[in-house]
Amino acid sequence: MTSPTTEDLQAITEQVWLSYLDPEGVAPFLPSEETPALPHVIAAVSVTGAWEGHVVMAFSASASQMAASALLGIEEEEVSRDDIADAVGELVNVIGGNVKSLLPDGSLLSLPHVATIDEGVNKWPAAVEVCRLQGSWQNEPIAISVWTSKSTG
Amino acid sequence: MALTQQEFAFVSGLVRREAAIVLETGKEYLVEARLLPLARRTGTVSVSEFVARAQRERALADQIVDALTTNETSWLRDREPFTAFTDTVLPDLMERRPATQRLRIWSAACSSGQEPYGLAMLLEESLTSSRQYEIFATDISNEMLDRAKAGRYSQLEVNRGLPVPMLVKYFQRAGTEWQVGDALRRNISFQKVNLAAPLPPAQPFDVVFLRNVLIYFDLETKRSVLRRIRSLMRPDGWLFLGAAETTIGIDDGFERVVAGRASAYRPRAATTAPVGAMRKG
Amino acid sequence: MVIDDSRAMRLILRRIVTQLGFEVHEAGNGREALELLEKMDEPPTVALIDWNMPEMNGLEFVTAVRSQERYRQITLMMVTTESEHGQIVRALAAGAHEYVIKPFTPEAITEKLALLGLVPSGTMS
Repeated sequence: MTSPTTEDLQAITEQVWLSYLDPEGVAPFLPSEETPALPHVIAAVSVTGAWEGHVVMAFSASASQMAASALLGIEEEEVSRDDIADAVGELVNVIGGNVKSLLPDGSLLSLPHVATIDEGVNKWPAAVEVCRLQGSWQNEPIAISVWTSKSTG
Repeated sequence: MALTQQEFAFVSGLVRREAAIVLETGKEYLVEARLLPLARRTGTVSVSEFVARAQRERALADQIVDALTTNETSWLRDREPFTAFTDTVLPDLMERRPATQRLRIWSAACSSGQEPYGLAMLLEESLTSSRQYEIFATDISNEMLDRAKAGRYSQLEVNRGLPVPMLVKYFQRAGTEWQVGDALRRNISFQKVNLAAPLPPAQPFDVVFLRNVLIYFDLETKRSVLRRIRSLMRPDGWLFLGAAETTIGIDDGFERVVAGRASAYRPRAATTAPVGAMRKG
Repeated sequence: MVIDDSRAMRLILRRIVTQLGFEVHEAGNGREALELLEKMDEPPTVALIDWNMPEMNGLEFVTAVRSQERYRQITLMMVTTESEHGQIVRALAAGAHEYVIKPFTPEAITEKLALLGLVPSGTMS
């Protein structure tokens, strides 16, 4: 079974940028070898069925803000937390959908999930927390939580 | 790191010559942004160095033209000429030409191939299966001809003015792209042709599509291009130009006719055109 | 009518078709869209329909609309990331008229509407 490649991801990402984030083609996504610092916002969709996995996008705080501003057509200063969740959720949804089209028939795509990592607490704006267990293990904090999705609409 | 005036002049001259696209001063940022990924891919340190290399290496110059002209071409968005082609021109030709005669269509500036493949779709849909046709697709750019021949289009490209029943009927998915199938490819031949120079010999054509090409030539070149094209058309053939183009005032050998909601041009009948000239002479 | 569970996508589509002179009604899924149709005095000219939505997906919506004579006039255009050959064929078989694959540029929407004769073909975005 063939899996998507970095080249596939690059072709899809280029089209998403040209469509929604960089219509003039002046601020393209530039791949690099460096591993970026810890992300601030994470957006993910899951694929289930014939192929199982996740498509995940990680953004720095300002990257997520710029994305929301470009996608929704609002000033960066006016971008709210919900705007970011909607925007990056839609980006990962479109990229995930295009990845899914490369996978075997019978693969299903979940609704997008978006998490903001904020001072050690994570929030999933497009989901509602059902329960949470927090604690520490050899002095390092660990939190386990269960979330249920709500529609991004 | 900014492009020098001279580098920008080279790039804008190149795309004006090759793609007839005018890059005004002030668009330096656009050139830099579009060329940066190319420069990185070829291992040059800066856009300036890449431009310097492109002045010596033809292949890199082609890449520049490509990168600055990435606007996807639409397939059948301009409905009027294509509707005229299927509703007026094809019925006319079917009546005039013996059933065994192959229809010959020329897509004279085929670019990345949307026009010849689009015409092939319309012919497949309109003609009876016994009627044969061939499409001659030409362009001045090798890069464009290669893309047209390959017949592979991105998702963004197949979104552009291509009716979805045509997409599912004539294309197959190929990774992230779509591949034109053999049903359309088998009747198209591709060749490099410079319209501004003497044309290669060819059998006469029934229909010529020469859209959005003349606007880039000066009057004298327009005149000679039209004359050369007319010499390769059947006397009762049809020529389609872009909406902003005409033969009027340039080449009297054509007359404008109404075809549906579009204008087309046909060679003036040999017996009527010289009348005025004869009277004078 | 724009039917998509993503507010971001509804906004993008609203911007494009508003510029073309359309008045826009929004729904977050197929069921909401059917309810909205019930309340409208006059059915919309065209519906832009996402495929994957909660409660009632776009394909179910297309099937539901096609089963009702009074909605015969509505042009149905899928706007979705579903881009497998077979999926597009399914949507057409269910009664969709056109199909735009996400991601799309504004020109793609304009030109498809032009192909359907819903905006003048010379309209440039």
